[in-house]
Order: sequence, then structure tokens, then C-alpha cells
Amino acid sequence: MSSFQRWAFGLTVPAALLTICLYVVPILQVLALSFTEPTFGLGNYVEMFGSAAIGRVVRTTMIVSAVTTVLTIVMSYAVAFALVHMRPAARRVALFMVMVPFWVSVLVRAFAWITILRRNGVLNSALVGSGAIAEPLELVYNQFGVIVGMVHYMMPFAILLLYANLSEIDPRIIQAARSLGARPVTIFTRVWLPLSLPGLAIASLFIVIFSLGFLVTPAILGAGRVLMVAEYISVQISSTLRWGVATALSTTLLLVVGLLVAVAARSPALRAAFEGGRR
Amino acid sequence: MSPRLRRIGERWLPWTLAWLLLAFLFVPVLVVVPVALTAKDYLSLPTSGISFQHFASLADWHAGWLPSILTSLGIALASSIAATCVAAAFAIGAWVYAGRWPSTLRIILLSPLIVPPIIYAVGMVRLWSKLSLLDSWIGVTIVHVILAMPLAVLAIGASLSNLDPRLVQAARSLGARPPTVFGRVILPNILPGTIAGAILAFIVSWDEITVTLFITSRRLVTLPRKIWTSIADAVDPALAAIATVMLVVTIACLLLRMTVWERLAQRRS
Repeated sequence: MSSFQRWAFGLTVPAALLTICLYVVPILQVLALSFTEPTFGLGNYVEMFGSAAIGRVVRTTMIVSAVTTVLTIVMSYAVAFALVHMRPAARRVALFMVMVPFWVSVLVRAFAWITILRRNGVLNSALVGSGAIAEPLELVYNQFGVIVGMVHYMMPFAILLLYANLSEIDPRIIQAARSLGARPVTIFTRVWLPLSLPGLAIASLFIVIFSLGFLVTPAILGAGRVLMVAEYISVQISSTLRWGVATALSTTLLLVVGLLVAVAARSPALRAAFEGGRR
Repeated sequence: MSPRLRRIGERWLPWTLAWLLLAFLFVPVLVVVPVALTAKDYLSLPTSGISFQHFASLADWHAGWLPSILTSLGIALASSIAATCVAAAFAIGAWVYAGRWPSTLRIILLSPLIVPPIIYAVGMVRLWSKLSLLDSWIGVTIVHVILAMPLAVLAIGASLSNLDPRLVQAARSLGARPPTVFGRVILPNILPGTIAGAILAFIVSWDEITVTLFITSRRLVTLPRKIWTSIADAVDPALAAIATVMLVVTIACLLLRMTVWERLAQRRS
């Protein structure tokens, strides 16, 4: 190894030490604790799979994540598709409308949804005031509110991912289809949609992974009534101090995320997209 | 289907739908502005007069908003500087070093982007309580450095991938020693990416809530933590005032970035 290479290696050492000691080791400790706390063995996992409460939490997490992902992807695709076809001036305005919620703190967004959806909130007051409904609707502190908040949180990510993917599609392919007499609907279903499948897959993967482990928005907009995995773990470590159950659930969550990434990494299209950023 | 109906379906429907969805993204965020201006002391639209009293309460030291803003600024500044230095060193080293080690390390380094932060929070509560670093400046800053590094590495790495490796060869053949090559040849050339990385790292730390929530309690209250407890405790219009301030700052930064980018694009063309 030349002295130049030794220097280069040396430059990577601080980052390596920091991540291994203060990221990898704490997470490995979580995995280890799930088998040793309070006693050695698989007791936590037996408890986890046998518990009706945890079963409910897992079911809620899966339903909310699935609905969020489907809604986010369909709605984001509609926006991204329109973005690709917009004139530059309109596109600037539209991208600005995506960027503001993208960069605003997640807490500000959750709080905004509370002021809108609450019983005496902006939406209910407007609807009751206009006489459209007699009684205020229950729009928040239930699954509906959580899903609205989560879709709103995820959409900017998905739009930016899908927009990047769609703007890479060669416009000459669309021209070719049109000159061969394909109608707009046919062009959409037979050209655009197949070519955007890799982008759709990546965006869905990210949204599913973010949703499964999401704490902030479900906790605020669910207010304990829509208990998802992350909030359940947080209750275990901060109030009931059941470290065994908390670490076993964390391990399972990590395993599910790892499996999703592993499956995605096997597909050639996704692998190309992931390695795109690499030199 | 009549041609007219078809035209509506093919042309107007997608556009209307897209702009409605954009409104769904943008408009709800704006609702905090009128609520912050209410004259009442509970969350409401300013139907009976506009007042700036809730903004004034943000400036009151004892209300706790100002101290938490300063705490967050301090931690974000410290963790942004530290994360950028470590990330820049790693990115440059990995760019030069030939071998498998950097690409393996890179995957580990970027994993906080994918691994749910709640899992990291569980691990760090254990570790920090063992080392008595719970609720301490140093404990929060270290966690924020770890969480901010991935985006800094990505931004600096993007800058490096545009750098011509022959530049390094030229410097070395002219007899530059390794520290000179790294510090005076590579680093000045990736300055834009490094600044972008520092800004991203700052934002990550400024916004971080999931892990901070578990490793702090009473002594160290960052702004996100203060907002979190205020939402949980009571619904106070001061919350709408702080949300408005954060929204205005975000919009100002976005507009600034847009104009700077256009300036740069014009200069280049």
C-alpha cells in the first residue's frame, strides 16, 4: 500500500469508528437483548406471537402502511405524470408546492392536520357552518386521520422519486407511439406505465419501509387510539419498561425491513437504481 | 364516448386532478398562519380580530420557546460541523482508496436512511443510560452526528463523482504530498457539495425528534421536543405561532435557493 493509499484509508477511519461504535453496536445490542432480557431464550418471541395486544398492533401497522402506500403511490404518480408534461413556468409553481411540505418539519405538518381535522377544527367548522352536515365528523384520533397525515407526509418523497424516474423516459418513444397511431390512453397504459415500473417499485419500497417504522405522525394524529409498532415500542421503553418485548419487536421490525431491501436488491431494475448513485 | 367527452377525460381530468392533489399537499400547511393570528387563547380561526400576542409569547424567555430554539440551534450547528468533517474525510478517502472496504463501510454508513429510527432510539437509550449520557448535550449531539452523516456523505459523494481523477494524478506527479492533495486539490474542488452536505446535516439535526425524544428529558429541551410535548399536553396557539415562523423560514430558504440556482444557471450559460 502506497503512502497515498494509507492516507486515504486513514481518512475513512473516523467515520468507520463512529458508525460502528455508536450505531452498529447499539443496534446489535438491541438484537442481543431480545434473547437475554429478562431471561436467556426465546421467551420474548413466544410472548410476542402469543399476545393479542401485539397482534392488534401489528395488524393496525400493516393495514395503515398498506393503505398509505397504495394511496401515496397512486396520487403521487398522478402529480409526477402531470409535472413531466407541464410548461416550465407551471412546473416551477407545482414543484414549489411539493417542496414546501417536503422541507417543513413533520411536527408542523402533524399539528396543521390536527387544527384542520379536530372536532372543532377548521374543516368541521366550515362544514357545520355551511350547513353541509349537522354534527361534526370524527376525522382525527382514528385510522382515517393517521392515514391522511401519513399520505401527506409521504407524498413529496414519492413525487420527487417518480418525477426523477419519469423525466428520464426518452420523449422520442412517446413520439414514436403517437406517430404509429396509438391513442393517449394506449400510450399511457402500454408505454408510460411499463417504463415507470422501476420507479414505482422503488417509491413503494421506500414508502412501505418508512410507514412500518413511523412514530411521529401516527402518535400525534392517532393519540394512542391507533397504536402502531413504533409507538408500541416507545411505550414499552418509556413507561412500562418491558425491554424484552420492546427489543423483540424492534428486532422483528428490523428483520422485515431487511427482508424488503434484500428482495428489492435482487431485482435487476431496482439494483440498477440503487447503484446509480455509486461510482 | 363523444369526442368532446373524450377530450375532457384525456386532457382536463388529469390536470384538474394533479392540481387538486398539489393543493392537498400545500394548502393544509398554510392553515397554521391564520390560527396563529387569533385573538383568543385557544386554537381557532381569527374570527373576532387579529392579534400578535401569540408571537409575543414566543419571545418570552419563561415560556420556554426561546431557550429551546437556542438549544436546537447550538446542537444543529455543532452536529452539522462534526458530521460534515467526518463525512468529507470519509467521502474523499473512499474516492481515492482502491478496495472493497469503502463500499462496505458506505452501506453501513448510509443505513440510518433505511433503518427505522425507533430501533436506534431503543439502542441509544440503553447505551447512554449505561454511560450516564442521557439528557446531555454531548449525548444528543453524537446521535445527531450519526443521523446527519448519510445525507452529508451523499451530497459530498455527488460532488466527488464530477471530479476528474487526473487532477489528483497531476498534483501527485508534480510532487504534492498526500495532505496537500487532499486539502488543497480535492477539498477546494468539492466545496459546493460540502456546503450542501453541511446544510442538509444541519436540517437533519434541527428536525430530529424520534431518537431525541427518548434520550432527553427535562434538562435538554430541543425545539422539536418542545413542540412534541406542547401538542401532547394542550393545544396552545403559541404552537401555531412557532409553526408559522418555521413555515415562513422554510419558504424563504426555498425561494432563496431557487433564485440562487437560477443565477448560477444563467452565469453558466
